[in-house]
Amino acid sequence: MDFFELTTEPLDITSVARRVVPPECGATVTLDGYARRFTKDRETGEVRETLYLVYEAYEPMAIKEMEKLVKVAHEQFEIANVGIVHRLGKLEIGETSIVISVAAPHRKDAFAACEWLIRELKRTVPIWKKEVYADGEQWVEGELVTQMS
Amino acid sequence: MPARVLFFGATADITGHREIEISVSDDLTAEAALKEIVRNLPGLGSHKLLISINQQYAAQDEIIRDGDELAIFTAVSGG
Repeated sequence: MDFFELTTEPLDITSVARRVVPPECGATVTLDGYARRFTKDRETGEVRETLYLVYEAYEPMAIKEMEKLVKVAHEQFEIANVGIVHRLGKLEIGETSIVISVAAPHRKDAFAACEWLIRELKRTVPIWKKEVYADGEQWVEGELVTQMS
Repeated sequence: MPARVLFFGATADITGHREIEISVSDDLTAEAALKEIVRNLPGLGSHKLLISINQQYAAQDEIIRDGDELAIFTAVSGG
């Protein structure tokens, strides 16, 4: 039973990873994505220190986009179950922002699907991250799916 | 009935709005609506923007109907 959720509560990785343990599976690969303190600017190479993060989502669309991703993942990989939970609101450094768990009969498919899911989620699911620094803040702008203006 | 336009993250901060309404003329496309909104809220002009219609990414030539829920936002950065 796949699940996709948004929450403002702290995430417990194990409870997401072990919520569904299908009997035909032998491995669950779980991504624990968490708030990074030091971020290197891709263009300038300058390292900035983040004090905390704020995540915001267009919640109904985010859930729909996660559902679409999981549907495609089932078509592309031999996997049995996917769980995605994304945290919203203010996150301290080191706190988990996202958990993606993929259960599969064999680990190879679970690793591949988990990597594909996080990559696609970062491109398509309408969630935004604000980095707050000692001397300012900015909403991080990711890669564009399609550019309209 | 007008269409609602929602803003999130950067676009909410730039415009100072979480939601506005726009009137919908005949054959208003997503691209034309976005241009009109950027004309009225010029702070958006320096950003690369995406538009959704009824919680789906919109094609440029997609037609907006009365009562639609639009959203305008910058490239996503979740994860």
